Parts: sequence; C-alpha cells; structure tokens
Amino acid sequence: MGSAALWQRSDRATVAGALPLQADLPLARVRRLGRPAGIAALLLLLGFLSVYPMAMLLYGSLHSTPPGMAGEFNLDGYASLLTQANLIVLANTVGISLVKTVLSIALAILLAWIIARTDTPGRGLLEVLITLPFFIPPILTATAWAMLGNAQVGTINLFWRWLTGSDGTLVDVYSYGGVIWHMMQYSTPFIFLFVVDAFRAMDPSLEESSRMSGATRWQTFWRITFVLMLPVTTSAFILSFIRGMESFESAVFFGTPVGINVITTAIYDSITQRGQPDYQFATSLGFAAMVLMFLLLVLQSRLLKGRSFTTVTGKGYAPNVTRLGGLRWMTFGICVAFVVATVVMPIGQLLLSSFFQFFGFYQLDMLTLDHYRAIWTNDEFWSALANTMLLGFAGATATMALGAIVAYITTRTTWPGRRLIDLMAWLPWMMPGMVLGVGFLWGFATLPHEIPIYGTLWALFLAYVALGTPVSVRVMSGAYQQIARDIEECSRVHGAGWWQTLVRILIALAWPAFAVGWVLVFFGIMRELSASILLYAPGTSVLSVTMLKMWVGGKPEEVSVIGLFMLALVLLFRWVQLRFIKSRLNTL
Amino acid sequence: MTPIRRKTFLAMAASLAVAGHAAAQDDAEWQKIVEAAKKEGKLTLYTATIGSPWHKAVFQAFEKTYGIHVEPLEARASEIRERVRVEQAAGRFVGDIHHNGSTTTGLMLRDGNFQPHGSIPNLKNIEATYKADDIRVPAEVISYCLLINRSQVKPADEPKSWKDLLDPRWKGKILSDDFRALGGGAVFFMVTYDAFGKEFHEKLAAQKPVFSRDIANSERRTARGEFPLYLPFSLQDYNQIKSLPVKPIVPAEGRPYILFQLSMLKNAPHPNAARLFMNFYLEHEQQLVFANAGYNPVVTGVVEKVVDDLRPLLAAKAMGTTSPEKQDAMLELAKQIYS
Repeated sequence: MGSAALWQRSDRATVAGALPLQADLPLARVRRLGRPAGIAALLLLLGFLSVYPMAMLLYGSLHSTPPGMAGEFNLDGYASLLTQANLIVLANTVGISLVKTVLSIALAILLAWIIARTDTPGRGLLEVLITLPFFIPPILTATAWAMLGNAQVGTINLFWRWLTGSDGTLVDVYSYGGVIWHMMQYSTPFIFLFVVDAFRAMDPSLEESSRMSGATRWQTFWRITFVLMLPVTTSAFILSFIRGMESFESAVFFGTPVGINVITTAIYDSITQRGQPDYQFATSLGFAAMVLMFLLLVLQSRLLKGRSFTTVTGKGYAPNVTRLGGLRWMTFGICVAFVVATVVMPIGQLLLSSFFQFFGFYQLDMLTLDHYRAIWTNDEFWSALANTMLLGFAGATATMALGAIVAYITTRTTWPGRRLIDLMAWLPWMMPGMVLGVGFLWGFATLPHEIPIYGTLWALFLAYVALGTPVSVRVMSGAYQQIARDIEECSRVHGAGWWQTLVRILIALAWPAFAVGWVLVFFGIMRELSASILLYAPGTSVLSVTMLKMWVGGKPEEVSVIGLFMLALVLLFRWVQLRFIKSRLNTL
Repeated sequence: MTPIRRKTFLAMAASLAVAGHAAAQDDAEWQKIVEAAKKEGKLTLYTATIGSPWHKAVFQAFEKTYGIHVEPLEARASEIRERVRVEQAAGRFVGDIHHNGSTTTGLMLRDGNFQPHGSIPNLKNIEATYKADDIRVPAEVISYCLLINRSQVKPADEPKSWKDLLDPRWKGKILSDDFRALGGGAVFFMVTYDAFGKEFHEKLAAQKPVFSRDIANSERRTARGEFPLYLPFSLQDYNQIKSLPVKPIVPAEGRPYILFQLSMLKNAPHPNAARLFMNFYLEHEQQLVFANAGYNPVVTGVVEKVVDDLRPLLAAKAMGTTSPEKQDAMLELAKQIYS
C-alpha cells in the first residue's frame, strides 16, 4: 500500500513536471535556490516599501533637522516627549482608542453573529448597510454629526426639546463621547467586515457537538464560537485599536474645540501649525506610539501561540444558521437601530444636503442640482477619479497578492526569516499616517534621479501598497489559520507545486476573505490623504486631494456628492462580492 | 525764450528722449522675455491656496493670453514648504513659482529656496502698503473681519470695534479659528495683541470663545445659528455665502490681513514663463478678478472698481499682519492665555 502510494506520487510528480527524471536535477536545484531567492526578493520589496521610509523617519527623529539640512544628531525629540502635557495626550489617546475598540468589537461581533449565523430577516441587505459607514470620508460624517449633534441647534437636540418641552441638551458631539462615537462609525463596520466571513466559514459541526454535549447556547458561543474566532477577532482588535490611536478626523473635529488632544493632533500641530515645523518631535512621537503598538502585537502573538483555530477542514460541511424563533425580531431590531444611527441619519443628512444650495438650509428656494452639475463638468474631478481608479484597482490587487504571500509564509511555513517578513509588513500600520507620508516624501525624493518614482503615479502606487499591506496580511492570516493543513498537504501529495497550492487551494478557500481585503484596501486607497497630498504631482492628483481642495475651497456640498458617488460604488462592489460569496457557498 | 529757459527746455527734451529710449529698450527687453517664456511653454506653480476658482480663472487667462500652460500644485503651506525643501536638497528642481503667505515665504527666503526674479514691469503699480523686493512679489491679500448671524444679532447690537467682543452678552457665543495654530486665528491674535495688549486677550479668553480647526465649515455653523459671531472671517469667502443670513463687519480699527507673495524658486526650470506670469498676475484685470472675489488687490486703482457690496469692506484700513520672527513666540503666548 505504502509503496503503491509512493509510486503513484512520483508518477504524478513526473507528469505534473512534464520532464524526464534527469532533467529534474537542475530543476530541483533551482527550486532549492528558489526559496531563499524568493524570501530575499520579498525582504527587499518589503524593505523598500516599509523599512526605507521608516529609516528616513528614524533619521528625522534622531537629527535636529530633516534630511538634507545641516544639523546634529541628538535625542532632543524623544526628550521633549517627557512632559506632563504629552503624557496626558498619550493617556487620552490610549483611553479613547481602547474604549472605542472594546465597544466596537462587542457590537461588531454581535452584528456579525446575527448576520452570519442566525435566521434574522433581511440579513443580505442588512449586511451591506452595516458596512456602509466605513466607506464614507470621515470629514463628511463629521460634518453630518456636527449638524445632528451640536448642543445649540443640532437636529437631535431640537427634536428632543420639541418632544420634551425642555431646553436641555440630549447629546453634544463636542465631547469625549462624540469623539468615540464618531470613531465607532468606522471601527464597527471595519471589524464587522473582518469577522463576518470568519463566522460564515466556520464548520457548524463544532458548535453542534458542543450543544449535543449539553452546553447551553451561550456556553457554546463563548467556549466554541468566540474562541475559534480569536485569531480573527484579536487581529481585528489590534488593527482597530492601532487605527484608533492614529485616528485624526474625529479628534480634530470634536475633541480639539473642547481641549481633547491626542497623538495625531499633537503631531499635526507640530508639523503644520507652527512657524517652524518640528519634524524631530513629530517623528519621535510617531516612534513612541509605534513601540506601544508593537507591545500589543507581542501580546497577541503570545495569546494565540500554540493554539489551533482550524474551522475549515477537508470534510464537507453545510453552513447552517441558528433558528432564533421570536428572538429574531429582536436581532433584526438591533441591526436596524445600528443602520439608522450610522447610515440613515448621517447619510440621509448628506443626501438631503446635496440637493440644496447649502448644508443644513432646507428651504424650497434653495433646492438645486448645481452640485451634481458642478461635479459632472469638473475636469479635475474626472482626471483624479481616473487616477484613483487605476491606483485603486492595481494597488488593491497588488496589495492583496503581496498580503496573501506574506500571510502564507508567516502562518503556513517554518521558513527562516518569516517573523522578520511579518514585522516588516506590519511596520506601516504602526506609524501615524501623516508622519509616514513625510517618510515616503523624504524616501522617494532622495532616490537617485534615474529611478523614476518621485513625481509619478508610481510614488502613490508604492505608498498605497505599503499602507495596505498590513490589512491584507491580517485578513489573509486570519483566513489561512482557519484552514486545516491536511487540505494543503493533500494538494502537495497530489503533485501540485507551491504556487499551485497557494492559488488553487489556500486562496481559493480563503477567497471570501481575499475579496473583503480587496475592498478594504481599495477604499483605503480612495480615502488616503496624508501620503497623497505630499506625493501627488501636477497631472497625478487623486480623489482625496481633489476632495480636500473642494472642502477647503468652501464646497462641502460638492464633496458630499462625491461621497455619495463613492457609496454607490461601495454598494456595487459589495453586491458583486456577496453574490460571489453566495455562489461559492452554494458550490461548497 | 530766455537762454535759461531754453537750456531747461533742452535738458527736459533730452531727458524725455533718453527716458523714451530707455522705455523702448525696456519694451524690447521684455519682448525677449515674452518670447523666451512662450518657448518654455509651461510653468509649475506651488501654491498654498487650495481650491480657489479665482486663481484657476487667472491661470486660464494666462494660458489663453500667452499659450503657456500653468500646472498648479496645491497643498497646505507647511506641506508646500517641506516639498520645496526636500526637492531642492535632493537636486530636484521641479517648481517655478512659489505662492504662499508672507510668513512662510519669509522663512523660505531665509532657507535660500528662491532666486531673484529680475525686472517686472508691473511692479511699478504696487500699493505702498505692500512692498516688493528682488525676490518677493506681492500677489493678493486675505483680509479678516467679523461674521455675524443676521437673525441673531440685531443691527443695534452689531459690534463696531474689536473691543466690543468683550461685551458680556457674547460670552460663550463666539466661534473662532484657533489662535494657537497657524492661520487666520494666529494672524488675528498677533495683530490685536500688538494693537490692544495682553489684557484684551485675557478678557477675550474669559469670554470662552469656541475654537474650531474646520475653518471651511465655520461660516456655515454661524449661518445655521450655532453661534452668532465668528472670527476671523476671510473676506474672500463672502461671495460663496452671501445668500445666507450672515453679514461681514470690518470693525473701526481695521482688518488684520495676510499678504500672499509670488517668488521664483531656485533653479526654476521655466524662469521666463515664471517672470511673465508674475507680471501678468499684477495686471489690473487679474487683480480685479481677485478683488471681486473678496481679496484685497495689491496694485493701485483696483479697489475703486470692485463690486458695490465688497468695496467698502476692502477699502477699510489695513490693521496689521504677522511676521515670521514673532510667530512662534506669539503661538506660545496664545497657548498660555487660551489654555
């Protein structure tokens, strides 16, 4: 039996290789060399994308002047962090991010469970609607919430006063609560996108076994479902917590007016709001934040070490749902409440405003389609859109491909150097965007002139790939960790090569996650501003820069029209994506 | 004619002839610049003015007149400054003209980012308030005033002086650009600190103004009635919101302002096009485009031709502006007073 199997394997390998035995010797040598060469190439690529700009920033933090200016090496930047005011800023940042991440992850897991594992009515539509807020530019939702929730004349407070006859204030978005709430509008759908497919991909027989062994529904959720979701949820938690520490818009809109400062507003002040920009302070603060985030990663690694989270096995399974009976209307109500609060109210406000001459002035004589016409006839918008689409499609595809490879190496192999690769892929996520943007500017501008990157679309493309890679790696790592190794081994036994196994087994099984990652990266590219504003050149402007120009130029209504256009695009993408997921599940 | 008068007449005729000859020579020289600029065919302009349709209109007029394509690169002042610095340090000379506020321009002049622009005929028309030199050419002026919500502030209660902001009735009702960050707020702080002293600002701090960094939205917040007063309002935004229930007021002491300047970047790849553009920018027609948009023009004889509702506001006296030397100290002072 054993020898027969071996014979079959060698036979298949020969057929697959389509080469005689002797010719396999140099090929084997090439393959032996291929792995270290591949790792070296990957290290080189990640080195250029993440370590190189970081090295420029490290120089900036240790030098009294930015690259290209005379100065001296010192630790003044780091020393200047050690003030009471900066420690308060740090505590504020960690506190705000922690609270919003805990609340968001609880809400996102609940929503994902409802959508993926229960018979709640209207799940298909609700799933699309729940994720919508993530794709709206934060500046627009901030404007919408400033109109809805300001203490003086906010719509919610006016309604409350009309309803109760009081002259009190129900909500005030200019507060800690406002900052956290606005951040949650992004982090909840973000985490939801991460975990919903993991819930869906889970073999329900594990839960069924738990129930058959006498565990209650809650015990099963906490002991089986939740634990199996740990790689995905901890990844989402860490990504979201770090993103929360790097969040800028929520703090600058709703925190700064009432004296709430966080790391990003301190960095923004130091490089854009002083006569003499202090890059040494900004980069030092960026690295201090990075150390904190790195400690979190170590914590996650320890938490997951030595545990198995396999939920997709070689055995067939039929995804099923928990029948909730009458409770399904309650879960439906929870989803609808979330959609009303995060989609209907702010997006409704934007949609309504886009048909009036001014935001918040709903008079019949101000009804207009001018903002739509203005966008339609704006050459700069179309040029920026074309650039953004090109960069979005190419960037998201390249980023996901890179992420799929990196995640494979870090989760499925024991190759030397894999931890270094993982760390290098993570680096860009741990540095606040506006500091990293400066790193790219310094890095690309100081390349030899023969390398045509600076001032071209390549500069934006490479920056976007670097910025998106941490997300793509996390998405793919979570998905790979759920796939049993025996499927992969089976593929190799049947003669498939490394690439074939990666593409036809792992990516094929993990492709719902790949598709989610692609959408996340694509819209990340559409919204990215910090690096774009520093790297775009005449003729290579992108949508986020054009939107900034319109915003600063006093045209928030036209920015709303673009925001709504982006939402329509999201709906289209999500519809296509969910159709594919459905057809895939049907195939399974 | 007496011999003395004859001598005087001859001397005058001779000097007129010399002047005429010099003018003709200047014209010929300038014509060479124009031809050289046309051959260069394009210019890249780094500007800290973002999303302004008025600037775009002037760029298009220049293209139409001379067939020279203008490629603007718009970003915030500090971003423009850092791009120029790192590009020049790396030996990349991409931009031709730098267009920014006088403070940032002054700092960049100190850093050696510019080169002399050469003679520019229209410099002779510059108003006395705004000085030009061999590097910096005044471009246009952003003037700051007060914005009130007409529904909430009765005509009798309208502030007439900047000091009226200290009236207890406005406590907690003033929306303001942040005095502790670069921009209109810092300009207002510095100018009024110089004019009225520290005491004025200590009293203003007691009025609990609400600071905002979302400057583009502050006018609409005022119009919606969130706050009855907003300062400092940039006059060039008035055209866009004049149909809303708001009114700009220039108090008696005048308008704080910030002068925008044009400078030629070091090793500009299209120096002649840059020079021609600077001259074009100062023509009455272009300055009137800016003035009708609410910017103060920098050349004489333009304010008089501005549209009726803006003319008295632009004609109000200039109160003062910032200086790069004092800027950081003033920001620090604002932080202490408005902590």
